[in-house]
Amino acid sequence: MKRTKPLAVVAGAALFTLTACGGSGSNDPSSDRSFTQAPEVGKDSSRQAPAAEVEGAQKGGTITVFLPGDPGPDSLDPTEGWSVTGNSIQQALTSRSLTQYARDPKTGEMTLVPDLAVDLGSANDDFTEWTFTIRDDAKWEDGSPVTPEEIAWGITRSMDSDTFPSGPGTEYSQTYFSGAGEYKGPYTDKGKEWDGVRVEGQDVIIKMSKPFPDMDYWGAFMAMGPVPLGKASNPPDYGKNILSNGPYKVESFRPEEELVLVKNDQWDPNTDPARHQYADKFVFKFNQDQAKVDQIMLSDNTESQTALSTSLGSNNYDRASTELGDRVVQQSSQCTSFLSPDYTKITDINVRKAIAYAYPYTDIWLATGEVPGVTRVPANSIMPPGMAGKHDYFVDGEQFTYNPEKSKELLKEAGHEPGEFKITMVYYEADPLSVAGQKVLTKGFEEAGFSVKAIPVQTSPYNIWLNPDDKINKTLNLRGVNWCSDWPSGLTMVPPLTKGGAAYNTSFFDEESINDEMNKITLLPLDEQADAWGALDEKISTEYFPIIPTAFRNELFVFGSKIGNPVGDGAISAPDYKDLFVMQ
Amino acid sequence: MTAQPAEPEKLGTLAEDDHRPDPQATKKDSITGKSPMRIALGRLAKDKIAVVCAAVVLFFVIIAVFADSIMKIFGVSTETVLPSAYLDTLGGGLPLKGPPNHGFDPEHPFGIAPQTATDNLAFWLKGAQTSLMIAGLATAFAAILGITLGLVAGFLGGVVDKIISFITDLFLTIPFLLAALVIAPIIAQRYALSDNYQDIQLFTLVCVLSAFGWMGVARLIRGEVLSLREREFIQAARVLGMPTHRILIRELLPNLAAPIVVSVSLMLPTFVAAEAGLAFLGIGVTSGTSWGQTIAKATNFFETYPLYLWEPMIGIVALVLSLNLLGDAIRDALDPKTRR
Repeated sequence: MKRTKPLAVVAGAALFTLTACGGSGSNDPSSDRSFTQAPEVGKDSSRQAPAAEVEGAQKGGTITVFLPGDPGPDSLDPTEGWSVTGNSIQQALTSRSLTQYARDPKTGEMTLVPDLAVDLGSANDDFTEWTFTIRDDAKWEDGSPVTPEEIAWGITRSMDSDTFPSGPGTEYSQTYFSGAGEYKGPYTDKGKEWDGVRVEGQDVIIKMSKPFPDMDYWGAFMAMGPVPLGKASNPPDYGKNILSNGPYKVESFRPEEELVLVKNDQWDPNTDPARHQYADKFVFKFNQDQAKVDQIMLSDNTESQTALSTSLGSNNYDRASTELGDRVVQQSSQCTSFLSPDYTKITDINVRKAIAYAYPYTDIWLATGEVPGVTRVPANSIMPPGMAGKHDYFVDGEQFTYNPEKSKELLKEAGHEPGEFKITMVYYEADPLSVAGQKVLTKGFEEAGFSVKAIPVQTSPYNIWLNPDDKINKTLNLRGVNWCSDWPSGLTMVPPLTKGGAAYNTSFFDEESINDEMNKITLLPLDEQADAWGALDEKISTEYFPIIPTAFRNELFVFGSKIGNPVGDGAISAPDYKDLFVMQ
Repeated sequence: MTAQPAEPEKLGTLAEDDHRPDPQATKKDSITGKSPMRIALGRLAKDKIAVVCAAVVLFFVIIAVFADSIMKIFGVSTETVLPSAYLDTLGGGLPLKGPPNHGFDPEHPFGIAPQTATDNLAFWLKGAQTSLMIAGLATAFAAILGITLGLVAGFLGGVVDKIISFITDLFLTIPFLLAALVIAPIIAQRYALSDNYQDIQLFTLVCVLSAFGWMGVARLIRGEVLSLREREFIQAARVLGMPTHRILIRELLPNLAAPIVVSVSLMLPTFVAAEAGLAFLGIGVTSGTSWGQTIAKATNFFETYPLYLWEPMIGIVALVLSLNLLGDAIRDALDPKTRR
């Protein structure tokens, strides 16, 4: 899942939020907050509805959510949702699917539990056919029951990459489901029959084209949920006017501005093993000004007491953590930032290692408004912390830090004198922070023996990196990517970034043996896969080092003093909307 | 028989002989004879506000011209540094030495910037340079363009006047900010691969500013020319067979000096402010140094590090205010109708 904050994709592979005003007069680094590891995600196939009450939860009230610098989703269509912001809101509040995550109030661990299915589904021996039994008591907001046919229809829709080009189905449905690559979806291939999904009584049976052991995780995406049959769900209109089946329904939605959700009285807690319906109303305010939101949250007035913010300006971090204490919640996200040296142009692994030593990690985080050690920490592997099977290895025997001498040595070994090797990269000029970050990066690289040509671009670097015909892209030999896992499996990290031909493989790394190994891992028994992905991660990095992990990332949330249960959701790195309430 | 013109003698006598033929008085008259420009300068020198403003403007001009030498004297530079050595990583990226939380730091008299740790004084000096250079160039271009078009339109009249007036009106209807927001990124994108990108960006900004700044001058000059071209001296020049360009340059232009000086002196501060405004909005000078850009970064720190915001603010306000007041004073001095 990629991050969608448009201003956030900058300089190499760092991702920034806009900084804001205010702060305290404190002089010393006063906080001892450090990077938290995401706990591993477990599974509980037998979790029953209703969900356990949150301790001290009260009913009523309105929760306002500020999303600084985040435009939110353009469309609420479940099939289209593939962003941290949109999915975290909708999957928690409006749009149910086959499975979902529940947070353990004591440990903070996320557990995969059933949602509209009665369990986590069952697969045949080689994971090529999955069966989900759908519960018969869930209802839409208009009171009609949610039927297995409607879920099958939702799954069928996810095959349509042309209609939903930015949907997650393009990556998963179109890779693993039967007819992948041939069947183009119900809107593009009108009237064509598809054998990928069928309904038998209350059962939805999904056929795969290749083994897909992670179907239960994929089922937690709202794209694997029900959609009304027929014309009612025609895109793009349905995205503006969705039918809700979760605890809340849409009262009004203005893209990039505001989303108001109110209680859905047709939702029955006895049909849902993880969601709650405490607050009367949720108001999401998109594209907020970070400085303004920080001031609102720090003021602790009546407006901000029942509000929460999904980010905090780094210049206010010090003050906020002193004044608000545990109301500032640090949520590790399953995300890694990378630099991607072009594998076809930078062919010597020593040069790639030199780049890793030449990247001034802490300096760039500072210049781009991050809090080093809190919102960004050094990364050692492709898989983020907390992902099952992650190996704690170091490519060069130790953690890469900024070390210009070492970089020069490695360059010399590769036969390049200082200043000879030219790095060509782009930066997003419209954001002053990214310009500042690029300047620092250029300085660091130059001191480490590279020469740098930084090309300013007026659009998101992804638009350059992902467009093979772009004339600027053709000149680059260093790109980047920020990647968040879609579920806690190496499958959603390693192949999308290092498999030959993958869309976000911006380094164009393509080794036959590695590609084969990836295909083999998906055929392994389920309990061996996590380790296999970890081992492959280590193998790719130590033998080829095609992408340079620069940071593991953390989000900072600020909760008002009257928001109950102020915690984050570790599965998607957003506030835990399911369990929030207002203290009266 | 032709009628005699009415009382030609009287006019003659009025001019010369009607008063006492005091030899001393005629002598005094010839001494005090002054050109209009000298009269205006004399008035300007008596205007205290004008003198102070001129001094402030001169101060900034000196700063701009000798920015590099001044930076050397203070031992500062605009060079990028690796900030982690100078900043408090957990304290919002504020400096470890110097303002706002520590005393004066002689190495960096204006302090260093939060987050990037660059020197504020160097950026301030260079910002003055950028600001004045862009404003000066844009004013020069806009004035030349406006004067030329105004002269031609006013003097030739007819179809030429109609076309030029239409273009002027057309440009006046285009909202400047919107156009700048659209044009700047397009040009920047076009030259993104170029090696001297910074210079191109600067030149682009000058072009955008002058392209949307010439209309006022053109209209003003055209109006003046319309009234001047019917005067006898122009008619005479035409009758004598003087070529048009010579009439325009030799006869008309000197008579337009006053309105040109006034409009130019009021155009400068507008462009200084526009440059800073555009940089604040993230277009214009984004890769170099600019006061507007510093302000955009500093607004986030208005509480924690106010000095960082005050420095460029004071620079812009002082420069624009004094340029404006100076322009007003020049206008008053050149206009014989205003007496204070």
